[in-house]
Amino acid sequence: MKGWLPSWVRPRAAIGLLAACVVLALVPIFNTAIYIHNLLTLTFVGIAAALAWNWLGGYLGQVSFGHAAMFGIGGFVAARVQLSLGMPMLLAWLVGALVAGAFSLVWGHPTLRLRGPYFSIATIGVGEATRLVCTYWDWFTGGSSGLSLPMKSGLKYELYWYGIVLAALALAASYALRRSPMGLSLLAIKSDVDAAGDVGVSPTRLQDLVLFLSGATMGICGSFYASFFSYIEPGDMFGFDRSISWVLMGVIGGIGTIFGPALGAIIFVFVKENLIASYPQLYLGLYGTLLVLVILFEPLGLTGLFLRLVRRARPDLSVTGMAAED
Amino acid sequence: MDRLVDLVIAAVLLAGLYATMAYGLGLIYGVLRIVNLNHGGMIMAGAYAAWYLHTALGLDPYLALLLVSVAAFFVGILTYRLLVRRLPRGAAGGVQSLLLLFGVWLILRNAAYLLFSGNDQTLRTTYSTRAIAIGNSLVSLNRIAVFGVAIVILIVLHLLLTRTYVGKAIRAVAQNPDSCTLVGIPVERIYALTFGLGTALAAAAGLLGATLFPFNPSFGAAELLKSFVVVVLGGLGSVAGTAIAALILATVEVFAILVIPAYLTAAVGFVLLVLVLVIRPGGLFGQRVLG
Repeated sequence: MKGWLPSWVRPRAAIGLLAACVVLALVPIFNTAIYIHNLLTLTFVGIAAALAWNWLGGYLGQVSFGHAAMFGIGGFVAARVQLSLGMPMLLAWLVGALVAGAFSLVWGHPTLRLRGPYFSIATIGVGEATRLVCTYWDWFTGGSSGLSLPMKSGLKYELYWYGIVLAALALAASYALRRSPMGLSLLAIKSDVDAAGDVGVSPTRLQDLVLFLSGATMGICGSFYASFFSYIEPGDMFGFDRSISWVLMGVIGGIGTIFGPALGAIIFVFVKENLIASYPQLYLGLYGTLLVLVILFEPLGLTGLFLRLVRRARPDLSVTGMAAED
Repeated sequence: MDRLVDLVIAAVLLAGLYATMAYGLGLIYGVLRIVNLNHGGMIMAGAYAAWYLHTALGLDPYLALLLVSVAAFFVGILTYRLLVRRLPRGAAGGVQSLLLLFGVWLILRNAAYLLFSGNDQTLRTTYSTRAIAIGNSLVSLNRIAVFGVAIVILIVLHLLLTRTYVGKAIRAVAQNPDSCTLVGIPVERIYALTFGLGTALAAAAGLLGATLFPFNPSFGAAELLKSFVVVVLGGLGSVAGTAIAALILATVEVFAILVIPAYLTAAVGFVLLVLVLVIRPGGLFGQRVLG
């Protein structure tokens, strides 16, 4: 095991991730229900997106309320280059990711540079402004009637395995962004920007890097989503509820933890599918109530709950929240 | 030339509303170091309260102003006592307070949606369509009234903060809460009071806004952003700074209509915000603490 893994990677974690991927990749052999198959695919996208949100909201402490902007930009750029230039799907995803990442830098770089809540406030505006502009930008997004991608038979089914790879990559990146030496620098930046600067960590460059990664991953998720449904429209892609759903996944699972948001995404997708979908007029209030309750009673979400249980069961082990607690 | 005068008048009148809106946000941020994301929610709540009191009870919005503000004041105190107070201070509390108050905003939005549906509402009074002539321009009477009320609110606030004991205590807490505890100022009570004041201002601004614009449950999001732009531009808590910043924002917005398509005006405030943050991170007038 040693030698081909960096020293900060626990072999157990790497094996666990690989094993989970293999098991999930084999699930469709036993599962013939197409509904479950598609739901799992969407869960993988949700996991990747929630983790990408967490890199900013959790690792850097810069909560975004407008990540749908990058999701939508990625989706529409990928769809547009497939339609207009006939680009192959994966290349289109890459283009979507790069454009979405670059877009996040355009507004994020100036606002992240400043201390305090500037970034978070800006995201409220960015989400809304991007939605408005893209809804009116017919040439790019097809306006409110949206864009249709040519249907390819079997693609939707195949995307399941693409989804596994996407979620696995996002998980690996989450792990690296926390455990690697760079992860420690990020933690330093989150705790005290000035002190981090004094010991030779460059906040601006690292923050921009994380922002770009987060935006680009959102872009891939949007591109994936476009290929999956082969039809997208701005109101849905840039929707406010979409942005909040990632906030909620992160908060439910545990902001700033490595795996928490993935767990939050799984729970969120299933709860939404079974419960919230039946009460569309109540979803905002439900999301809000959940946010308030989790923040008040267990700020680290399910991860915090889990740690609390472990601590109660085994007081002799001094378990900490992996430095997610400030 | 007449067109230019029209636009200038429109900008000045709009600036009064923006200043009131922004002052509530700046007050809470200046004293508690918390961005009240529920500011947007309370603006929306103020608008609906005015509309409901007018359609159901026939109460004139300007008469309802005091009632709505007092009610919102207590809502703010409750929000602080029940929710905000329980959060840790410092960096972790910053993120948590954003999320918490965002959650409260979502709940309010949903409540408005359930009570009044998602349709646009307008508040029409008998004098909504009246206008008076200033020089060659016709100016809506209502806009002038909104401006007048906003100015009165700002003057009262300024006097409250600079001339009264409570006001001085609020400013002292903004500067250094620890020293305030030492000299016997009840810091917790001042926090609650400030939160109530900021919330009341948001609702008052929402009420005034409702007499000018149509609104729906998501009303307040753009207003929150505009308030934030004004706070950043004008620095914290200075009434004069806030007024000038509000005037700048209103002027830029009003004149932007001349050069860009209408749907893009939503982005104007945001672009202005980014520009200011990049050029003058401390605000146009530097960071002054309340006064």
